[in-house]
Amino acid sequence: MLVVLKAKLKDILNTLAEEYKVLVPAKIEDTSKFISYKDNVDIILDENVKLSPKDVFFPQTEKMYKMKTVKTSMELENITDEAGKKLLFGVRSCDMKSLDCFDQVFLTKGYIDEFYKNKRDSVVTIALSCSQPMQTCFCSAMGVDSQKAVGADVQAYDLGDKIGLEAISDEGSKVIELIKGQLTEEGAEVPQPGEFYLKVDADGVSEKLNGMFESPIWDDVSKKCLNCGACTYVCPTCHCFDISQEVRGENVTKYRCWDSCMFGEYTQMAGGHNPRPTKKERVRNRFMHKLNYFPDRYNMLLCTGCGRCINVCPVNLDITSVIKQIKEAE
Amino acid sequence: MSVNEVQQNKEVEQNWEPKILVFACTWCTYAGADLTGLSRLQYPPNIRILKVPCSGRVNPQFVIKAFQKGVDGVLVAGCHPGDCHYTSGNYFTRRRFLLMRRLMEYIGMEPQRFQNRWISAAEAPKFQQVITEMTEEIRTLGPNRKLRDDQW
Amino acid sequence: MVDLTLEIRKTAKELLEKGEAKVVLGWEKGNFPYSTTPVFIDKPEDTERLIWDEYCINNLALYMLDYKHLDGKVGIFVKGCDSRGINRLVQDKQLDREKVILIGLSCPGMKDEKKAKELGPNADIPMAQKCQDCRYPDPVVYDVFLGEKQNKKVPEKIDTSDVEEMETKSPDEKYRFFTTNYEKCLRCYACRNVCPACNCKECIFDQTATGWLAKANNVSNNMFFALTRAMHVGGRCIECGECERVCSVNIPIMLLNKKIIKDINFLFGDYDAGLETEERLPLGGYDYTDPEEFM
Ligand code: SF4
Ligand code: SF4
Ligand code: SF4
Ligand code: SF4
Ligand code: SF4
Ligand code: FES
Repeated sequence: MLVVLKAKLKDILNTLAEEYKVLVPAKIEDTSKFISYKDNVDIILDENVKLSPKDVFFPQTEKMYKMKTVKTSMELENITDEAGKKLLFGVRSCDMKSLDCFDQVFLTKGYIDEFYKNKRDSVVTIALSCSQPMQTCFCSAMGVDSQKAVGADVQAYDLGDKIGLEAISDEGSKVIELIKGQLTEEGAEVPQPGEFYLKVDADGVSEKLNGMFESPIWDDVSKKCLNCGACTYVCPTCHCFDISQEVRGENVTKYRCWDSCMFGEYTQMAGGHNPRPTKKERVRNRFMHKLNYFPDRYNMLLCTGCGRCINVCPVNLDITSVIKQIKEAE
Repeated sequence: MSVNEVQQNKEVEQNWEPKILVFACTWCTYAGADLTGLSRLQYPPNIRILKVPCSGRVNPQFVIKAFQKGVDGVLVAGCHPGDCHYTSGNYFTRRRFLLMRRLMEYIGMEPQRFQNRWISAAEAPKFQQVITEMTEEIRTLGPNRKLRDDQW
Repeated sequence: MVDLTLEIRKTAKELLEKGEAKVVLGWEKGNFPYSTTPVFIDKPEDTERLIWDEYCINNLALYMLDYKHLDGKVGIFVKGCDSRGINRLVQDKQLDREKVILIGLSCPGMKDEKKAKELGPNADIPMAQKCQDCRYPDPVVYDVFLGEKQNKKVPEKIDTSDVEEMETKSPDEKYRFFTTNYEKCLRCYACRNVCPACNCKECIFDQTATGWLAKANNVSNNMFFALTRAMHVGGRCIECGECERVCSVNIPIMLLNKKIIKDINFLFGDYDAGLETEERLPLGGYDYTDPEEFM
């Protein structure tokens, strides 16, 4: 395997930065997320970022197009993304899996979301394996291999003081080619992941949920929920959005922005009716979507076990407990 | 260079003029502004007056929204204490904006940009003076970029 | 605290068995040694789930909004901050004091869950910021009291040294500080939803159609949110620190709340929200002798 000392990582990133716009997981302003690589950024390798990389592909607010009224007609103007390839370094397996989920939603079943596709096509990924899962992680229970990510162009392995690199796709080979001179060949093995703290058994949960729409557990599960959007906004797989516009005189900008099924306004209808009037229906929707509707449609869970929702929930409403409760329900 | 300064240079070049939004209560300040005109007292044409039923009608959102939409200064003006058409509206205004002025200053807004005054229906010279002074203060500060929502 | 756990269970069980309360709100253990989660007990046999340890940090008061129309009484365990939250809701006429049974607990100060996560199980976990700043660890109102009051010596005045430090900075420095913080804001509204002062049936931020605040996330809109929220809880904030504790991106929200509290104290006389239920709120009233700066 080709390896590099962690201490020399920045040299490699510098080389790559000549070719790509490199994004790295870094600490910033008392949180952490993927940011543009610069020499002085505080890269974190020992844990996953608090805010998922989804905003690289699906920004919280994304301008779609502009309109302008000209006399009695209207002119449309496209908004193009900045040109150039991006390289996302250090994406964990769970977050790579979430991209797989996004791809299903935005690129399959006969509909292509161009906004997403443009961004997706311009990104090359270097996935990074996890040596020690964080306490809130439970990816393995959701069928994600923390040592081998799906859909990555390059797979990197955490080897202690070194990082091993392996090209997966053609694009990945090109990346390796660029930095080859800075890597050394060593007989390293794919490392074994550490123990998971959270024990979850999600087998059969999707099927189990089939008859549980009216189950009393939703009353119970939802009581403590505050219906904030924290869990859905930090979730790498949540992809709901709302389309709106900013009107400035004759100029209109259409944009889309994240929305959350936890909010009352999400299902509010023009006439005032709300089919999900209370937290019970909203919380049920969140879990049903993740664990039942999505698997039904795309044959995969809409949860990758990244643990972010567990981390931010103000009231510790824990999805692993909910899964357990579902499985134990009569 | 500060956020303000960078933009400042750009706009000064384009003959920038201060833009001030005045929330005027209809019973006192608005009438006072009318009298200022009738008395042919000149004041800078940099204000836009928005008539409100009472200074008590103005809430924090009005002020922040104005800055978001691009004004350089906000003035909330109403009847003198004791003279409010609704007896006590302006006493509430006073408390609300004593606090809010401090909060705005606290988050980095220059205090001159958000002001409050009592101007009665008879105080045309005061209206003239307040507007003239405020316009000059804001001209010295330059265009406001803070809180502005200008990325569309 | 273990002994108290047993007492808590016993008290809750009695309330439910005698039918005095239909439901009892407390805390149960979460999935981690450092986590607890609110629990709603309506069967006597479930009272075994209740616990009392150094991580029972959630302010439970706001859940009372969910029980406004319950036919029967709710029992709720209250620390100092929770009790002030209850007063807050009663004062806002959101809650009928007769319909709650307050079981008071003296709070030794809870530990910082976020720090516990970072430092690991064996570390010495510091007290949560909100508890370090707390001035009323003993409940200010209750019907039953369990354990012993600690009558802890607490500062008489709210500590606003961090606010004062911020005030000395230049306008641009201050603006940069607040905007770099609110640039990260996700507008998840966890801070609003956890707050016992934010109890509007329909919040301004849930009415995008009115045009006050669009859903677009940018620093200008986020500042609109921050300032509006801060003004709305002005005079009503009980300093429970929940907003800052739950922020998904660690924004120092209390710097705004405390600024307003400090100014209220200075301008209109000392006022601690949530200590009583009858007085007019600072911004819900006025005084002819209020400072005059608008001449
Ligand atoms: S539901 Fe929670 S654990 Fe699952 S992917 Fe989303 S944030 Fe991660
Ligand atoms: S973060 Fe927790 S409280 Fe907020 S909506 Fe999600 S589950 Fe509910
Ligand atoms: S932010 Fe304002 S409108 Fe919204 S709940 Fe709080 S006090 Fe009410
Ligand atoms: S604003 Fe924050 S500190 Fe104040 S009452 Fe609400 S949650 Fe508590
Ligand atoms: S909790 Fe934090 S991120 Fe969420 S809306 Fe409040 S300030 Fe913003
Ligand atoms: S009517 Fe003028 S301030 Fe109330």
